[in-house]
Amino acid sequence: MNPKWAEENLQTIRTLMERSALYRRALAPIMIWAGLVGIAAAAAGCWLKIESGAGFIAYWLTVALAGVAGAFLLVRRQALQSTEPFWSPPTRRVAQAVFPALSAGFLLGILCLFVWSEAPVADPPTGMSDNAGELFWLPAIWALFYGCAIHAAGFFTLRGLRLLGGLFILSGIAVLAWVIFSHHQDFPMAAWQASHWLMGSLFGFLQLAYGAYLYLTEQKNPVA
Amino acid sequence: MNPEPFLQLDRLIHEKGRLAIMSMLAASPELTFTELRDALAMTDGNLTTHIRALQQEGYVSVAKSYQNNRPLTTCSLTAAGRKAFAGYINLLEQIVRQHKPQ
Repeated sequence: MNPKWAEENLQTIRTLMERSALYRRALAPIMIWAGLVGIAAAAAGCWLKIESGAGFIAYWLTVALAGVAGAFLLVRRQALQSTEPFWSPPTRRVAQAVFPALSAGFLLGILCLFVWSEAPVADPPTGMSDNAGELFWLPAIWALFYGCAIHAAGFFTLRGLRLLGGLFILSGIAVLAWVIFSHHQDFPMAAWQASHWLMGSLFGFLQLAYGAYLYLTEQKNPVA
Repeated sequence: MNPEPFLQLDRLIHEKGRLAIMSMLAASPELTFTELRDALAMTDGNLTTHIRALQQEGYVSVAKSYQNNRPLTTCSLTAAGRKAFAGYINLLEQIVRQHKPQ
């Protein structure tokens, strides 16, 4: 009998047990919450006339923080209802998976916020029309980072989440391609409201649609 | 070397495929057939055979239900299965301890 054999078997068992501990919180309420926040924020951004580049970034970063905080509260409520620890190993793994890409997107937003805050303002002011292109590629890059984050989380939870992540990545690439190829036309379609609705479409409608799909299909106490 | 712990190992659990199934089920209250199949990269037939063997020994219980009008098979460890798995792990640890340099 190989002395290493038992140790290797124990290691295999440990790996399998860790892999088995799937993240089982119902994602439907979280996705619906995130979707509604995205749509409401897009509408509010237009209504509040947030036109400047710096204002746009600060506004959407705040919305993102509010969205994440709300999602954490929903997860905590689910954990309390099922009398399970909030910071369980699967929760920790999902958080570790989404953290790098989400923080990269957030830090990019902070960087752009500093750069655009110091950008010279046109006189007379022309609103966002000067940097409409920037305000299209930034949401696209945010969508890329967000897509990477939830795709990574998909390895510890529902496989559909990986598909949603892929959809975000494809949408981000499509918007970036549009920005690059329409550059010479000085973004004739780009108005400041369109940037808010781009965010609303990517982070609002897409997540709301996925949340509604999950709501209709998630396992609800199967009958034994 | 004392061969005693090795001889006491539960042969049913000791098989690689069944050990993997038991390990997965030991860490979750229940897993669906599809989750097990995907996680362990087994074929439907292979997984069914192993689960049937574990079920006959009373280590695994299988529940059949419907989700969205589609059949859903869910597996979980029974109390006997959990006890047998714990015993198997204990024996492995004994074997490891025997071989550890003092």
